[in-house]
Amino acid sequence: MGCSASLPDRNSTARLTGFNSESNGATDSKNLKVKLVLLGDSGVGKSCIVLRFVRGQFDPTSKVTVGASFLSQTIALQDSSTVKFEIWDTAGQERYAALAPLYYRGAGVAVVVYDITSPESFNKAQYWVKELQKHGSPDIVMALVGNKADLQDSRQVPIQDAMDYAEKNGMFFIETSAKTADNINQLFEEIAKRLPRTLSS
Amino acid sequence: MNNNNKMGSDPIPQQQQEIEIEGGGGQLSPSSSGYAGGIGSSSNSNPSSEIESSEIQHGENNSTSNGVVYDSASWVPGKRHDDEVSSTLQAIISFVENGGDCVNFVRAGKHQLLVILTKSVNRCFEKNPKFDMTPLLGGTDVVFSSLIHSFSWNPAAFLHAYTCLPLAYPTRQAAGAILQDVADSGVLFAILMCKHKVVSLVGAQKASLHPDDMLLLANFVLSSESFRTSESFSPICLPRYNPMAFLYAYVHFLDVETYLMLLTTSSDAFFHLKDCRIRIEMVLLKSNVLSEVQMSLLEGGLYVEDLPIDPSPRSGYLSPHLGHHRPGTESPSRCRDANPGIGGPAGLWHFIYRSINLDQYVSSEFSSPINSSHQQKRLYRAYQKLYASMHDKGTGPHKTQFRRDENYVLLCWITQDFELYAAFDPLADKALAIKTCNRVCQWVRDVENDIFLLGASPFSW
Ligand SMILES: Nc1nc2c(ncn2[C@@H]2O[C@H](COP(=O)(O)OP(=O)(O)OP(=O)(O)O)[C@@H](O)[C@H]2O)c(=O)[nH]1
Ligand SMILES: [Mg+2]
Repeated sequence: MGCSASLPDRNSTARLTGFNSESNGATDSKNLKVKLVLLGDSGVGKSCIVLRFVRGQFDPTSKVTVGASFLSQTIALQDSSTVKFEIWDTAGQERYAALAPLYYRGAGVAVVVYDITSPESFNKAQYWVKELQKHGSPDIVMALVGNKADLQDSRQVPIQDAMDYAEKNGMFFIETSAKTADNINQLFEEIAKRLPRTLSS
Repeated sequence: MNNNNKMGSDPIPQQQQEIEIEGGGGQLSPSSSGYAGGIGSSSNSNPSSEIESSEIQHGENNSTSNGVVYDSASWVPGKRHDDEVSSTLQAIISFVENGGDCVNFVRAGKHQLLVILTKSVNRCFEKNPKFDMTPLLGGTDVVFSSLIHSFSWNPAAFLHAYTCLPLAYPTRQAAGAILQDVADSGVLFAILMCKHKVVSLVGAQKASLHPDDMLLLANFVLSSESFRTSESFSPICLPRYNPMAFLYAYVHFLDVETYLMLLTTSSDAFFHLKDCRIRIEMVLLKSNVLSEVQMSLLEGGLYVEDLPIDPSPRSGYLSPHLGHHRPGTESPSRCRDANPGIGGPAGLWHFIYRSINLDQYVSSEFSSPINSSHQQKRLYRAYQKLYASMHDKGTGPHKTQFRRDENYVLLCWITQDFELYAAFDPLADKALAIKTCNRVCQWVRDVENDIFLLGASPFSW
């Protein structure tokens, strides 16, 4: 979605659209709007990260996502500019894998999440990174997120491995915990700082 | 179980099971021209239905443990069951072992798969019949558990009809109008539902939604907790609408029970649908539709105790009660107070009325003595069997069945326009029961504006 110019859209003139528009969909230099997509294996905590960020909540009873959920959240940066994230929280279940392009098409930001206690989920994250490199917007900002950092005792993915991988692929890397809220806001603030500001003065 | 003999007729020994094809003892005598003829004569000329009936009788003999089938399955709403495919299988097996309607269920199950997985399943099976779709089913356990559960309580599952939330006619009209507005702007179907009941629904021109698809769609949405968290946009398939086509569903819960589904063929339509939803929500709030929906949920519905004694056709007679049902209020013609706790007049315990043209049914609310979930499930199974016995073989234009066992008197009456299923006290008097069925039909007609979705039905295209 978000790639059709014919889409009726009454109230926003600069909604993020498609390949041929700026991928960060700036409304003006001070107020950015950006489409962000979360990808990653089922159960790594994508929905929990979003709900922690948008609503400040953590619900440990998991609700496997169907298709994709849409949420938005605006943050203010230190230079008093704002960034509105239009977030697509995709379903990690296998059956939705083929549909991912529907959601990451035209995205200015991709957040690829894995669970630090699950090596398979780290493999899956690498799969998504490759897919985005092939089919995502060329100037997409990518973040690699190791979630469930509160479960240090069960860690299976060494932090160094993830850092190395992120660096090699030009990604921003952070470990988070949706449960304790550790690094959740930092994740989105760091992304906001990295957005290209084509019009900035 | 019930030693009440309020009808004053001879008590029927508990062990006696009688199946009667309606002949004497009373006539269902429709008072409006809409009812095509009395039922006695036509069924007498149909001896084959007698055979059917006795077959059912046999099935019924050992059915006392039925109706609790689902209880053994581990259905936990909202819980994720990643590796519990086996529990689903378990539930299916016990469903089948207990004599559930397998064919119907298997078809529904297959269609539910399609709803979730869309046509990719079919394609995979075509390529490789041994295709293992287990990995594709992750997290869908609750959807199937809940579907199985539907087959023990939701009449829509065997009636192939949907039901509406009772609402004052103007309220439903208001909801329909705004949905129609949206449908005109490129939405294929706009459906507003409260739990399993339709508030209003509208289809784009020529598009019609099959009640079976509605059951599966509602089941999918209600059992997938994530829809409640935030608005979502996901691909689905409606097997009866087009098993090979992808649709996209925008789903948003307006409150805990009420949700809006906007279906489209366009993968780009999310923001348009989101705008539509905002408009719809505003109108619904302004016109109080959402609060009336909540009221109806609490107090609406048809109660057998409220069946008017005087069957004279007075249009809209009971409609004031529908939205604001309260026990023990004014109406002098209700006999709730006269028979506290023993159902309606003539021992009427419950009924289901299915309008054939509308593809809709209405069922009375459960009240005493059908108040435990065990009793409700047992009655459900009895209806299900009654339905099957009436539909398995070629049905004439009218058909009736009257049967008595230790649990109920069951009465079924099928015409070209409607089907009525009614359950009475096992000691109910037959002539009175038949009279009461006529009154039920009249009552339903009198309040049809409030209990059915009329006119705007996509089925009329
Ligand atoms: N300990 C811990 N558990 C977490 C954390 N984040 C999520 N979880 C748990 O992980 C499970 C899955 O979280 P979700 O957010 O539903 O996972 P998801 O990635 O959205 O999964 P899909 O929607 O299927 O793609 C839930 O049971 C959460 O309670 C975390 O930071 N720490
Ligand atoms: Mg999720």
